[in-house]
Amino acid sequence: MSRIGTIARRTFLIGTAAVAGGVAFGTYLVKRPTENPLLDDIADGEAAFNPWVIVNADRVTLIAPHGDKGQGIQSSQAALIAEEMDLEWGDFDVSFGMPSKAYWNTAMAGDVAPFMSTDESRRAETVRGIMGGIFKIVGLQGTGGSTSMPDSFIKLREAGAMARETLKLAASTRTGIPVADLKTKGGAVVLPDGTALKYTELAADAAGLEPVSGTPLCDPSRWRLIGKPMERLDIIAKSTGTLDYGIDLVVPDMVHATVCVNPRQGGSLISYDATAARDMTGVLDIVEVTNGVAVIATNTWYAIQAVNAVEFEWGKAPYPPEQEQHWEAVEAAFSEGSLDSEWRNDGDFGAAIGSVIEGEYRSPYVAHAPLEPLNAIVHVTDDQVEVWSGHQTQGMLVDAVAGVTGHSADQITFHNQWMGGSFGHRLELEHIKQAAEIANQMRGTPVKLTYSREEDFAHDFPRHISMGRARMIIADGKVEGMDLSIAAPSVISSQMGRAGLSVPGPDSQIAAGAWNNPYDIPNYRMRAYRAPELAPVSSWRAVGANAAGFFFDTALDEAIHAAGADPLDERIRLMGHDVSRKVLEAVGEMSSWGGELGPNKGRGIAYVESFGVPTAEVVEVTNTEAGIRIDKVWIALDVGTVVDPVNFENLVQGGVIFGLGHAMNSEITYSDGIAQQSNYHDHEAMRLFQCPEIEVRGLENAEHIRGVGEPPVPPAAPALGNAIFAATGQRIRELPFNKHINFV
Amino acid sequence: MKKIILFGALLGVATFALAEDAAVIDPPMEGSVTVQQGLDAWSRIHDVVSHPRCANCHTGPSDRPMWSGPSFGAPRQHGMNIRAGESRMGLEYLQCSSCHTTKDENWDNANAMPHAAPRVAMGWALAPMEAHWFGRTAEQICAQLRDPEQNGGRDMIELAEHLNHDLILHWAWAPGGGREPAPYSLQEHVDDLLDWGVAGMPCPQD
Amino acid sequence: MEVRVNGNTHEVDVSADMPLLWVLRDELGITGPKYGCGIAQCGACTVHVDGVAVRSCQLAVGDLAGGEVLTIEGLGTPDTLHAVQEAWIEHQVAQCGYCQSGQIMQAAALLDRTPAPSDDVIDAVMSGNLCRCGTYPRIRAAVKTAATKLQEV
Repeated sequence: MSRIGTIARRTFLIGTAAVAGGVAFGTYLVKRPTENPLLDDIADGEAAFNPWVIVNADRVTLIAPHGDKGQGIQSSQAALIAEEMDLEWGDFDVSFGMPSKAYWNTAMAGDVAPFMSTDESRRAETVRGIMGGIFKIVGLQGTGGSTSMPDSFIKLREAGAMARETLKLAASTRTGIPVADLKTKGGAVVLPDGTALKYTELAADAAGLEPVSGTPLCDPSRWRLIGKPMERLDIIAKSTGTLDYGIDLVVPDMVHATVCVNPRQGGSLISYDATAARDMTGVLDIVEVTNGVAVIATNTWYAIQAVNAVEFEWGKAPYPPEQEQHWEAVEAAFSEGSLDSEWRNDGDFGAAIGSVIEGEYRSPYVAHAPLEPLNAIVHVTDDQVEVWSGHQTQGMLVDAVAGVTGHSADQITFHNQWMGGSFGHRLELEHIKQAAEIANQMRGTPVKLTYSREEDFAHDFPRHISMGRARMIIADGKVEGMDLSIAAPSVISSQMGRAGLSVPGPDSQIAAGAWNNPYDIPNYRMRAYRAPELAPVSSWRAVGANAAGFFFDTALDEAIHAAGADPLDERIRLMGHDVSRKVLEAVGEMSSWGGELGPNKGRGIAYVESFGVPTAEVVEVTNTEAGIRIDKVWIALDVGTVVDPVNFENLVQGGVIFGLGHAMNSEITYSDGIAQQSNYHDHEAMRLFQCPEIEVRGLENAEHIRGVGEPPVPPAAPALGNAIFAATGQRIRELPFNKHINFV
Repeated sequence: MKKIILFGALLGVATFALAEDAAVIDPPMEGSVTVQQGLDAWSRIHDVVSHPRCANCHTGPSDRPMWSGPSFGAPRQHGMNIRAGESRMGLEYLQCSSCHTTKDENWDNANAMPHAAPRVAMGWALAPMEAHWFGRTAEQICAQLRDPEQNGGRDMIELAEHLNHDLILHWAWAPGGGREPAPYSLQEHVDDLLDWGVAGMPCPQD
Repeated sequence: MEVRVNGNTHEVDVSADMPLLWVLRDELGITGPKYGCGIAQCGACTVHVDGVAVRSCQLAVGDLAGGEVLTIEGLGTPDTLHAVQEAWIEHQVAQCGYCQSGQIMQAAALLDRTPAPSDDVIDAVMSGNLCRCGTYPRIRAAVKTAATKLQEV
């Protein structure tokens, strides 16, 4: 690393972790240790035992390397380390750390392997291991796919144990008391006579020791923190307006900027006239960025006002301009030539005998629209670049900035920030590249780019559109067969394509939520077809399982009703996975399924497995004169281990609300190549008055721990649609539902 | 809180200065307008009062303003579960003025932002309950407008003056933000009202 | 012109039509009020003006007319929490937290005027504040807890 890079990183560490002499620990968790980025900046008397723990004379700092979009992962990751280190809750600092290969996401790799998450065969585990090795070499540090907890659960506890044991060794060396006679409590090593040596006092000693690894982890029965309600570390700041998100940051001598980029995404800027805008109050400069223009001003509002006064001539969209053409392109993909993969072919659907019912289903483009608009501060000088923004893939961000400014990755420092939501939106790099483009034209001056909400909607890179066609066979009151085909553009290829990467092979997300459901339908065929890339799309909370899960479960519900079977009983009968069956049984018990309902009421149940989490939801609605009212939701899901029951409940309820709200009323449609929805008035999702009571149960039967950010979302839409059918007799096969029915 | 009470007191009794775009109130001579001409004038008045810019806030017994018109697709209740309450200004719930803030007299350019909350130089409010226009027939609205019991005890001149004073109504012809304005103009609307008045306030059902 | 915020008077030199939100955020460095939509659809910018909840993105600074602005920073601090903030912490309402400044300011204004709001009133008043993370069940509960706390004082 260059000297200047070192200085930049040191500045960062001092700024965020206030490190002044101590230890950092190298990683001993993989056979060949990955570089410990903390060691680059280690000072005398400071110990960084591994990439996750730094102790010095003043404080203990834990590194929670995943982005916090609101899911609370910083608190949960800190809890894992603090559990093993015997730290009092909150008696430490936490930092997001810096981009480093040491923080590669081990769990994301496993989920890329094309095996059902319920498949624990040797072959599946072997391939997951191989994928993990590839991810490690690439060093993909990412937050997404509900993987933060699976990635962290063992690794961070081991990091905490290593720190604890090394500090005990330091105390033993100092006192001459054998390690075996030492205990730890409250951030200190406790001697047999009760004397407590604070970790901070031992930091300088520990810094000179080889970190101790291989200590067994604390038995779950002795957990003080894990599994118990914890006050989120960010909760006071978030309840007092004192937490700085990326959009709130101020860097000395910073100027404000906003952009207007061709709303026909990817289309060119042909010409523009900024004569009027240049003379407007507060405008400092107007510069070009790729496919658009940036206004630099003395504050954000002046910049937004001025960019609205620029007249543009835009190039055409590199995709069909009208929404109907998008649907036609998807429909045309139902052909042999577009077959992406045949994911399932159980039994022999062609030979199945019974009565046949058919359905065709649609799932629209939907915006992520997190409440904090996209933003980034970039400061470019000839020798270095600093970036402040909230992002899910730190390493890819650095590469993207390097591509714009021509600096090497070593010269680029990224400070990850608290995020005001993401839902997948902060995987994108366009706004980062635009901020870098502006700052690169103004070297020496830090530039803060803030998107207007309208710009954010125009460049949301929404959830992909998708169509499903199902044929179901029923006989003797049972579901005997399903033949489900799904056609959609590939999210992964669109998203990775923008980062200059190509992903070979089939895209499992086209079929996710349908191919991986562990039902034993006697004759089940599931094929995915790949439509051409249309509007650019990206991962939207739970990604493919939203569409495919809706198609699969709605089709199954139709078949069950046609067979005259009970929706819960028949799902349980067909279920071939114990953990999932218990989830179905739990939600049935919670909701007293089968009991008498009041007049005009109806209930629907849905089960979708995504990101390895079996999830079942029951929705109860009332068909009022003014429209459908959602009264109550019961949800049961199994993540193996619930780390923080309060945060777990909050995230699960939020996921249900996210799923229901968008299913009710939200879609992005294109006309003239431009998204027709520009703000929350026409992409509203759920508001408080529509929110049902939501009862949550987290089961812990699954062997592996899983993340809970996404799995509650996919079953919400089919459960609501199934409930509407039960209450009204109207089967709605297209999202959003409000195209066909009103909600109150 | 003080401001809110003040606005409440002003409801329906606007005392703000006349806007610069105020219409001239110059009624035709008594007897110079035929009944047929009066009915023609009524038809144009109806075009105005049934237009979304006007009718959306004339919801009668319902305290829920409406969202309808070209920018909304199917008519629906004002988003966000907005209720104006008996005060018609949302005092019992969320005040209209929380979003529809009160501008100074220079509000010409205040509503350029598409889909933002419209604002004028007076407190935003739902029309009084008696003035029930949304979803009603021309006959029903006509009967309401000429009935002093239901129109605030106003004669023709007072109705015209009311139009001049109530700046929310002026907004209907200058809604900004890409919204479709009410048809005709404030002056034409006032002239039609005066013609209709001089003709004896005829209604289609007469 | 002069603006009164959280008991302090600030002199600002900006266009009279600049929204209060941006004066607070970019001119005065008061960033508790958030920019979410700019059109009164999300409520993240909610402040009090003379005790009334106002979407600061919709109020031109020139129209403040001497009004006293209270932002979340003035409502309570980490050391001296307002009852609504205490309730928000007890119920662990926030996920991303970006909307919560506005939610809290709206709830505080509601309880000022309606100390014991019914479910209907809560549903009407709090539905102008959008939460993309879906913390609504906790917001409802926290409003009720805060009402109880305020009545006990």
